[in-house]
Amino acid sequence: MTASHSRLFGVLLGAALAFSATAHAETIFRMDDSAPGEADPDKGIDYVGSVLAFNIYDALLIPGQHGAPVQPHIATAWKIDGDTYTFTLRPDVKFHSGNMLTADDVVFSFKRMMALGKGNSSLFAGRVAEVTAPDARTVVFKLSGTYAPFLGALVRLPILDAKTVMAHKAAGSDPQMGDYGQAYLSAHDAGTGAYSIVSHVPESETNLVKFDGYFLGVAKSAPDKVRLRYGLQASTVRELMASGQQDMTSQWLPPEVMRVLAARKDVHLLNDYGSGIFFLHMNTQKPPLDDVNCRLALTYAFDYATALKMVKITDTVFTGFPANGPISHGAFGYDPSLPNYARDMTKAKDYLAKCKYTSPDQRAIDIAWITEVPSEERVALLMKADFDPLGFKTTIKGMPWTLYTQQVTNPASTPALSEVYIDAATPDPDSLLYNMYSSKVAATWESASHLKDDQVDALLEQGRTESDTAKRQDIYRKLVARLRDVAPAIFAYEENQVFAGLNTFQLPSLSDDNARFSAEEYGLQFRLIEMAAH
Amino acid sequence: MTPGRGARVWRALRRNPAGMIGLVLVAVIVLAAIFADVIAPFPDHAGAVGDFAAMNAPPAAPYLLGTDTIGRDMLTRILFAYRLSLEMAVVVLAITVPIGVGIGLLAGYLGPVTSYALMRLTDVFLSIPPLVLAMSIMGFLEPSALHGMMAVSAMWWPWYARLSYNLARAEKQEGYVLAAETVGAGVPHILLREILPNCIPAIFTKMTIDVGFVILIAASLSFLGLGAQAPTPDLGSMVADGAKYMPDSWWLTLFPALAILLIVAAFNLLGDGLREALDAER
Amino acid sequence: MPPLLRTLLSRLVASVLVLAGVSVLMFLIARVIPGDPARIALGPNATPAQVDALRHERHLDAPLPVQYWEYVRELGHGDFGTSLYSNRPVRTDLEQYLPASLELIAVAALLMVLLGLPAGVLSARFRGSAPDVAVRAAALLAIATPAFVWGVMLQLLFAYVLRLFPIEGQLGANLTPPQAVTGFLVIDATLAGDWRVLLDALRHLVLPALALAMAGIGQTARLTRASMVEVYGTPFIEMARAYGFQERRIANRYAFRPALVPVLTVLGLDIAALLGNAFLVETVFGWPGVSRYGVEVILHKDLDAIMGTVLVISAGFLIANLAVDLLVAWVNPRIRLAGERA
Repeated sequence: MTASHSRLFGVLLGAALAFSATAHAETIFRMDDSAPGEADPDKGIDYVGSVLAFNIYDALLIPGQHGAPVQPHIATAWKIDGDTYTFTLRPDVKFHSGNMLTADDVVFSFKRMMALGKGNSSLFAGRVAEVTAPDARTVVFKLSGTYAPFLGALVRLPILDAKTVMAHKAAGSDPQMGDYGQAYLSAHDAGTGAYSIVSHVPESETNLVKFDGYFLGVAKSAPDKVRLRYGLQASTVRELMASGQQDMTSQWLPPEVMRVLAARKDVHLLNDYGSGIFFLHMNTQKPPLDDVNCRLALTYAFDYATALKMVKITDTVFTGFPANGPISHGAFGYDPSLPNYARDMTKAKDYLAKCKYTSPDQRAIDIAWITEVPSEERVALLMKADFDPLGFKTTIKGMPWTLYTQQVTNPASTPALSEVYIDAATPDPDSLLYNMYSSKVAATWESASHLKDDQVDALLEQGRTESDTAKRQDIYRKLVARLRDVAPAIFAYEENQVFAGLNTFQLPSLSDDNARFSAEEYGLQFRLIEMAAH
Repeated sequence: MTPGRGARVWRALRRNPAGMIGLVLVAVIVLAAIFADVIAPFPDHAGAVGDFAAMNAPPAAPYLLGTDTIGRDMLTRILFAYRLSLEMAVVVLAITVPIGVGIGLLAGYLGPVTSYALMRLTDVFLSIPPLVLAMSIMGFLEPSALHGMMAVSAMWWPWYARLSYNLARAEKQEGYVLAAETVGAGVPHILLREILPNCIPAIFTKMTIDVGFVILIAASLSFLGLGAQAPTPDLGSMVADGAKYMPDSWWLTLFPALAILLIVAAFNLLGDGLREALDAER
Repeated sequence: MPPLLRTLLSRLVASVLVLAGVSVLMFLIARVIPGDPARIALGPNATPAQVDALRHERHLDAPLPVQYWEYVRELGHGDFGTSLYSNRPVRTDLEQYLPASLELIAVAALLMVLLGLPAGVLSARFRGSAPDVAVRAAALLAIATPAFVWGVMLQLLFAYVLRLFPIEGQLGANLTPPQAVTGFLVIDATLAGDWRVLLDALRHLVLPALALAMAGIGQTARLTRASMVEVYGTPFIEMARAYGFQERRIANRYAFRPALVPVLTVLGLDIAALLGNAFLVETVFGWPGVSRYGVEVILHKDLDAIMGTVLVISAGFLIANLAVDLLVAWVNPRIRLAGERA
């Protein structure tokens, strides 16, 4: 094609666009995220899967605001009687299909999640003995034992339209339930949320439209349509933002690209934080880091300040905050009296002197970083620069995520040090720490430290079974103190997920601390977006 | 090949300007790769180091081709990546040529049943687009430079099997082979001593061109994240990493891309020149 | 039986055999390489009981030949298994992403012919002079440059710097795709009469198709030149010259047609390169096709999806070659009867 031809195309296209702008006054919000986007709310667990689930579906409770861990949503009230939780449902919740939400839908949704056994089902597995619907507006959960994090976990139980799902079930392993509508829900929805699916292709994009019958109502300023695109290159996102073809980026852009965008006048930054920590897992089952003194030596040799500087976007915005342990500031169980971690070479040398591995050859450690997250390589190099002069011998290896998740299932093949971002699935610290540090749980990427510590185990069980909030708070503070002593990880910094947005919109739940929610991922509520006036 | 024949080919090659350009480029690249430790401005930048003061610097002295996102000299890393590329090419050809030629010669010389079976086997390999086969093998393996070589080898041998099969079939009818058969020479003797020497020029020419193409395929694999892993410098993954920072940090992707183009073109020019020289000599 | 039909049948049988071979090969690679497919499929959070159950359900505890037989039996029912990457049946994924890839490959193949053939003819007609040298140098560059390098460089120049074409994707962010009838965006837009979408879709096709076609264009130009040069050496061209025909007429009439046969054959082979390079080009341009899906499932070690993708692509390759064979047989009656291939 010649230059003049394409210019002609450009003119025609421009004319066409101008025409469309006058013809439609509806607003569209366009953003990108990592591929694939999972539309089935019982399967998606990553950021984009959670965002879709939270916008298309509703749960009995949602994360709280202003310090409350949870707040009423579909359930207006609840009663706790020992291990029995009784919820009263709103009468006015309508599904996208037009069906009214009843208690039977809640029972169905719970069964579906557990039958599929994916997504967030591990939050409930083995914890719930029975779910019943005595009447259309009452749901009763009978737990199989005391499980204090239960209310927080309910935030992650999306309610599906049982009639719609069963009307679209396909053949499957269960004779009665078929495939539980899995084929259907991979591209359609059966929710009550403020937005419903128009089209969904997991590798490329999801188109959503505002649901007029939303039970809480949706402000006029909220976008009429939402378009999420998946797996775009950082360079593409940068260009789409610069040319006004996209409204908000994902948080996965490298700091360099984010910096270029942040310098623009038509861009503002948004952020999401509250439970995510950048963990540098230390393998406690393999020499030399099976010696706690060697681990503590590394803990104090790590240059926390420089690590934060590396993820600097502007003079005031970093993709991290200083941490003092595995629980983020403001989250349940956070202990403000503990000092933030900082580099202290005197302490590092003291601990190293106590370590039973004496020569650098004995103190050989391999550091793994995840190749999908290029900025992690810098942290690996920083560790090398910090640890080698102290008397360690580090080797650095990039590793694709799938390979990493396989290697860490076994302590022998787990790297001595590995870099992973982890955030809590619910507003309760149990959802972060139990899977990570209980020796009862099978080894996964969350538990690459393979910690076996009786005190930690005991505190984790206490935290689950204690129902008194003040006592629980105390238990988690003790747990954090103990984890600081046994050092299963370097708690490098608290994660701050930064997004760049055009000034075409505002989203207070991701920019104003007074409007934030108690769990990450919930703040990206499309219904709370305020599009600029047209 | 007799010395006299080699000299004639050399004379023919010298009269071929494109071939000579290829030869010079190949010589320069190979020497630069071998002596990368000596000539690279920052030899330690080939490994896991970072210079946080010089991250993402545009091309200017002392970093002639700029630095990457962790402050390493791009020129140094390209030179070391050339070394890895050439190593891969040598290893892949050292594995595939003997296997492919062996199978091809056997199939070409032996009876119709063996030849049919062996050639259908190569058909299976050749009917998966080459890059797809290598990629899918990598899909089951842990990504690394070594596994990348294995995957590329698995897709490469059938071409040599095909080539030497056709050559052997042609040579089989020649008088000298028939003569050797008449005096009762064994199959190994006929294949290795009689037929193979006459196939060597064609195989050697193909190898020269293939160095470039092995490098191309290996770079394609690592571009997709299926080859050498960081911190090993690798041309394909350098292009892939750099593409994230377009257009602001264009040097991160443009220079490794040009480096691939240069090395593959150089071996192509040399290979074509050799082929023409051989044809002219014949 | 008519000879053409017999050729078709024998090629068809050979293709099916080869495809069966491909499935065995891929199956063996997937099973021989260490790693537990059930454990990989269920992900790190699965319990040992779940892993055992899946292993039994998928016959992974059975001997290899039984496993293969079960796999083929399920394939026969159109069941490619489930992708752990997308959580959907592999078949759904393949149906979703195949049209975009076919569209891209078709346009690339078209470019290959439309640009490669004339370049080759030009080069042959003016052999030894400036146009010839230019075409040969360009062809060498086209072939010696990996498709992803073409992609990145075309993107940098035409999308980022000159801003003539979109950077990536299949359709601009402000356009709504027409209702899917065939799944092919260009065709669907035409059917719906939505010219804005059609225009935008075509604009999005230009750079990826060009990047994909580059090697093929170079290859085609080279071959056209080589076969035409050969034909030029034959007596009937000498004769045409002796009769005083114009050079242009000789090139178009007499030298081009006989030269077309080997070129067509090679076009068939180049389809292999197109299918392979599509993996790179779709990744560069964020093209929502089956190859980008293939890259993702390979990176995620998604065994069923890898098998499915490779089988479909190999089948596509065989079909394309079959079509080219028939085309050649039809163009050139002399080789219609030559059913046996070495």
